[in-house]
Amino acid sequence: MTAIDESAVAVTRRRRFSKRRARAGRMFVAPNLAAVAVFMVFPLGFSLYMSFQNWDLFRPAKFVGLANYRSLFTGDPLFSIALRNSVVYTVGTVVPTVLISLAVAGVLNRKIKGINFFRTIVFLPLAVSSVVMAVVWQFVFNTNNGLLNIMLGWIGIGPIPWLVDPKWAMASLCMVSIWRSVPFATVILLAAMQGVPDTLYEAARLDGAGELRQFVSITVPLIRAAVSFVVVISIIHAFQAFDLVYVLTGRNGGPETATYVLGIMLFQHAFAFLEFGYASALAWVMFAILLVLTVVQLRLARRRTAQEERSWA
Amino acid sequence: MASVTFDQATRRYPGADRPAVDCLDLAVGDGEFVVLVGPSGCGKTTSLRMVAGLETVDAGCIRIGARDVTDVEPKDRDVAMVFQNYALYPHMTVAQNMGFALKIAGTPKAEIHARVLDAARLLDLQAYLDRKPKDLSGGQRQRVAMGRAIVRHPQVFLMDEPLSNLDAKLRVQTRNQIAGLQERLGTTTIYVTHDQVEAMTMGDRVAVLRDGVLQQCAAPRELYRNPINMFVAEFIGSPAMNLLTLPVVDHSVALGDWRIPLPHAITATTGELVVGIRPEHLDIGGSGVEMHIDVVEELGADAYLYGRITGVDNALTQSIVARTDGHDPPPRGSRVRLQPQPGHVHFFAFDGRRLP
Amino acid sequence: MGLADRVIKPSILRGFALYTALAGIAWCALFPILWAVSGSLKNEGEVTMPTLFPSHPQWSNYREVFAVMPFWRMFFNSVLYAGCVSIGQVFFCSLAGYAFARLRFRGRDTLFVLYLGTLMVPLTVTVIPQFILMRIAGLTDTPWAMIVPGLFGSAFGTYLMRQFFQTIPAELEEAAILDGCSPWQIYWRILLPHAKPAVMVLAVLTWFNVWNDFLWPLLMIQRGSIATLTLGLVRMQGEYVARWPVLMAASMLILLPLLLVYAVAQRAFIRGIAVTGLGG
Repeated sequence: MTAIDESAVAVTRRRRFSKRRARAGRMFVAPNLAAVAVFMVFPLGFSLYMSFQNWDLFRPAKFVGLANYRSLFTGDPLFSIALRNSVVYTVGTVVPTVLISLAVAGVLNRKIKGINFFRTIVFLPLAVSSVVMAVVWQFVFNTNNGLLNIMLGWIGIGPIPWLVDPKWAMASLCMVSIWRSVPFATVILLAAMQGVPDTLYEAARLDGAGELRQFVSITVPLIRAAVSFVVVISIIHAFQAFDLVYVLTGRNGGPETATYVLGIMLFQHAFAFLEFGYASALAWVMFAILLVLTVVQLRLARRRTAQEERSWA
Repeated sequence: MASVTFDQATRRYPGADRPAVDCLDLAVGDGEFVVLVGPSGCGKTTSLRMVAGLETVDAGCIRIGARDVTDVEPKDRDVAMVFQNYALYPHMTVAQNMGFALKIAGTPKAEIHARVLDAARLLDLQAYLDRKPKDLSGGQRQRVAMGRAIVRHPQVFLMDEPLSNLDAKLRVQTRNQIAGLQERLGTTTIYVTHDQVEAMTMGDRVAVLRDGVLQQCAAPRELYRNPINMFVAEFIGSPAMNLLTLPVVDHSVALGDWRIPLPHAITATTGELVVGIRPEHLDIGGSGVEMHIDVVEELGADAYLYGRITGVDNALTQSIVARTDGHDPPPRGSRVRLQPQPGHVHFFAFDGRRLP
Repeated sequence: MGLADRVIKPSILRGFALYTALAGIAWCALFPILWAVSGSLKNEGEVTMPTLFPSHPQWSNYREVFAVMPFWRMFFNSVLYAGCVSIGQVFFCSLAGYAFARLRFRGRDTLFVLYLGTLMVPLTVTVIPQFILMRIAGLTDTPWAMIVPGLFGSAFGTYLMRQFFQTIPAELEEAAILDGCSPWQIYWRILLPHAKPAVMVLAVLTWFNVWNDFLWPLLMIQRGSIATLTLGLVRMQGEYVARWPVLMAASMLILLPLLLVYAVAQRAFIRGIAVTGLGG
């Protein structure tokens, strides 16, 4: 074989090799891709399509254009209630969650004896299902014999109608939600904190920084990416909350719609009233709001880092 | 005044079979540049960190000036440290890094600005004040770490192998810069390195440590000329001193067929001794012990001959290294005669002690 | 000179404050569960009393749970669904993750961007069409409704595995290629065994997700015989209003397997989170 033949053989061998890998690649991705297409992409398109229809699954669908969206924003008083409740719930969950988990992760970020024991305990609520916890917390919040009112009784405060009074229902809901979210956020923040090298803290100690100062000036800025991640995920999760609300305060959104959030509204319209078109429109409105929120947050994060680079000392 | 004194300072890590630092007695004078040197694990970094307050002192005490600082927090000791990995705050600019300590101390903004600028000028960092550490080269980062220490005008500088992450050429350049800087500022400095060349060129005095125990602390010249034991003799100087176990014959030591008379004080010794001769103290010439050359290292100005001594019955015995002029060194495989320069022969007992 | 001379007061105070803080945090994390345990062991009358320990532990409450709901049946169902979906997710997502990370084919990168896009889509948008799909396929009220949607993996799982596979050095695969391995063999024999931390994270997350899922079983399942524990508990809550001891007993029984899985998997799971860079 001449040199030219040899190189030609090598080239075809290489081509066959990469062809084989490409084929394997396509085959490996295929089942997963099919699932994503069927259960993610198709529903996405289909729900958008449905939002322009009136459909109840039994009778044929009727095209109504933007009517669903219009009645959401103008004709439905419950929408503004649900939106307001969802915003209150989201803010009331995410802000305390981030602050508390920063503190908890800070306390857990040490190498003292028994720290693994405490970490295991703090992460425990992660394993527990929302539903089970909702049932348990119902017991804790019980007006007559719940633990909270009993503990309050010890310090002389009268029983609070946690789940019965509209004024308190949202607060109770937020409390459980925070209790649920803090472990998740703590795990992420703690992992990020452990990535901060020890020598930075030593340098800070020599520079005169006390513990709090070290935490604020070094730990927190260096885990900013993880904090952003936690904030974004928490907002997305809280805005769509359903499980917890349903089980804790009932399928109608609590006492006098005090906990009537968008997730409950969606469930009602879709599976109780069978108004699939209207519910799909609602779902897309929620999607749009979340999308805007996420983009705004990312934009803000980028601008903040740019600002800091400009100032000094 | 800012002297630093180790007074029987000891540090023992839990579970270790020997102390990391064992009853260290060392006094660094005000304005002095002392280098702690030794192989890894010898306790030099631990000793440095004890002065910084980053290691607990299990026994003994540390004094800065007349003040016992053994139980004092790092921030109240008025010491600044340059870390081996620089430990620059990645999210702050160079200027913010350098000004951080001053900001914590509540120094007015204008003064922080002025001092940072001064230090930057000293270290040629003015162009980089607004950059973040990730946008700097290794050498620049090292200078920022130094700047951070200088800005505080501390009583003591502590440096933990600051040059070990730089390439060879930059190392030599920065070495001289650091020495010059220290002389200009006059601040007491304790410098840790594992490189004995750095130690010898930079220190007013050098403290050699081994396994947590101070071997000898003296000016570089003294360490070179009069090492107190075998370890120091072998550690200082490159290539290392030749250490040969030789029999004592007739009030002299037998180096092959060459006799080196014992000094007056130990002339009555019998048996065997360890004899130390530096490669640069062996003259090639007509008389002396015969050596068979195995390898010739030509370094330009010098050449080093590695080989073995021909023993009594022409058998090749112990290895030896000799230095010669790089101009025309003898070839590999040939034999030459080496004569030790009188007055540059060291005698050691088997336990490492210097004799006499 | 001796250690006795060194009474470092601030350090002891600091330690005390630290352990107090830790204990406080632990209490906050645990008290609902502890309260539920104590409630599950009391009788109806005692439940109103502020005692942490019941005077006579009423283990009969636990027995009653089994009488009131088909616990073992539901347990089996939950394990079946969670197990099948976890295995499916791990297998298909790691396979696809390997392909996205290491195998080059046309359109690979644009496809992956599409995947990333779907991560943003909230559950609320997709749940209605998924419901309709299952209806049309006639799979409602069958175990398949619980298994099929997640069986072939998800975009999130694939994303996780791809990120992880990218951190494995290419030399490992190249050595296998030189040894004559086909892509499947490389995946099965070499990369998958190496992927334990990421697989752990994905498996545990999936397991918990399926076990704890509420909305989907609520929509799909009518018959009690194929219901999950989670669904069973809520139904019981509806029927046994304010019968706290039994409700708490049921809750604890459902919690237990999860806690066991958690105890076993915790260390590996946390490490997996760090390794796959989930923390941003």
